[in-house]
Amino acid sequence: MLPAASGEVILIPANQFTLQELTDLYNQTRVDYLIPMPMNAARLQDYLLTYDVVLQHSLVAALPDGELLGVAMLGLRPNRVWITRLGVLPSTRRHGAGRALMTGLLREAEKIGQPFAMLEVIKNNTPAHQLFLSLGFRQVSELLILRRPPILPPPDPPVADAQRLERAECLALLRRAQGFRPWTNQPESLLHAENIAGLHVTLPDGSRGWLVYQRQKFTLTRFIYQTERGDPAAVAAAFLAHLHHQYPRLDTQVENVRTDDPHLPAFYALGYLEAFRRLEMWRGESPYTPG
Amino acid sequence: MATILIVEDIPDNAELAQRILLSAGYDVLRAADAETGFQLAQNRPPDLILLDLGLPDYDGQTLAGWLRAEPLTALLPIVAFTAWPPETARPMALSYGCNGFISKPIVRVNQFLSQIRSFLKTN
Repeated sequence: MLPAASGEVILIPANQFTLQELTDLYNQTRVDYLIPMPMNAARLQDYLLTYDVVLQHSLVAALPDGELLGVAMLGLRPNRVWITRLGVLPSTRRHGAGRALMTGLLREAEKIGQPFAMLEVIKNNTPAHQLFLSLGFRQVSELLILRRPPILPPPDPPVADAQRLERAECLALLRRAQGFRPWTNQPESLLHAENIAGLHVTLPDGSRGWLVYQRQKFTLTRFIYQTERGDPAAVAAAFLAHLHHQYPRLDTQVENVRTDDPHLPAFYALGYLEAFRRLEMWRGESPYTPG
Repeated sequence: MATILIVEDIPDNAELAQRILLSAGYDVLRAADAETGFQLAQNRPPDLILLDLGLPDYDGQTLAGWLRAEPLTALLPIVAFTAWPPETARPMALSYGCNGFISKPIVRVNQFLSQIRSFLKTN
């Protein structure tokens, strides 16, 4: 069993707070982060829905007098949980609130019978990384957050047969997707998303694969892709070139690409830039292997 | 005197930059998110935009892209205002159409003002 939470800190289910209160608290915990990633209430709501985050099992840390210290959230999917949006107010750090939130979430996961937990931490956030290691998490991969600016010239479309996929076709592909991905890139992360589309490409040598993505107002994002046959870098070069030829004025943001992803050379060749890195960490007996 | 639009969601950061710029004689406009920053820049184009890359609605890179796509703001100097390390901030800022970047937090007031003057002069 996990140890009890730190004595001074009380943990309150996050569903007792409004979305605006949670947004404000989360933003305040990140003001001094290198990559603060602030949100507004609408973005947080979308985040909760997209990533299956359950406020009933998420926690806010406070002192007995009601002063709020921090927040941490729990995502739930079959056979796994995800710890996300963990943050402690800068002025109250190093007094056990982060550990209390983490042990509280892990206890929630135990209560609902999910011993396998995943999370990501920004690379070089040493205090958080050390906390997770001390709680039994282990590093399984390094992840890249990539951006492609819209002012780049559109690439020439490669010699490949490209078929546009509508939502139903995308969802069918996602149901058959192979490999175990970081939480944000798992097929479930697109099930509730609007404006889902995709591309299936076939190269002259028979290589083929697909990309599913979300088209937002100004941004292409939430990529999930797979090579069915052939060279992954060549397949990715084909679907990315077709995508950016189709949407030359849209910004692109791709999260949590593993550094050993064989599709990665195509992203760099198409002008993607590395924004920052995260570390992917797991705790408990994994029913999966990264891939 | 030149007008500078600060687009920054963290009040302490925005307040400090505003005080320094006001004390140096600049006029200052402030926005705490990308939508407001975009509207202010369209309604009253400033002489320079100091742009945080992490904003709560859309990020700074996206806002830089919108501003570059609009005739009124296409040529304005936009300076990324970020805590990212220089090796990441520079290529990210330049590739999204910013003219350069200034590191946060502001440590040396004179250096900050010198950078502002430099971006105003060269643009």
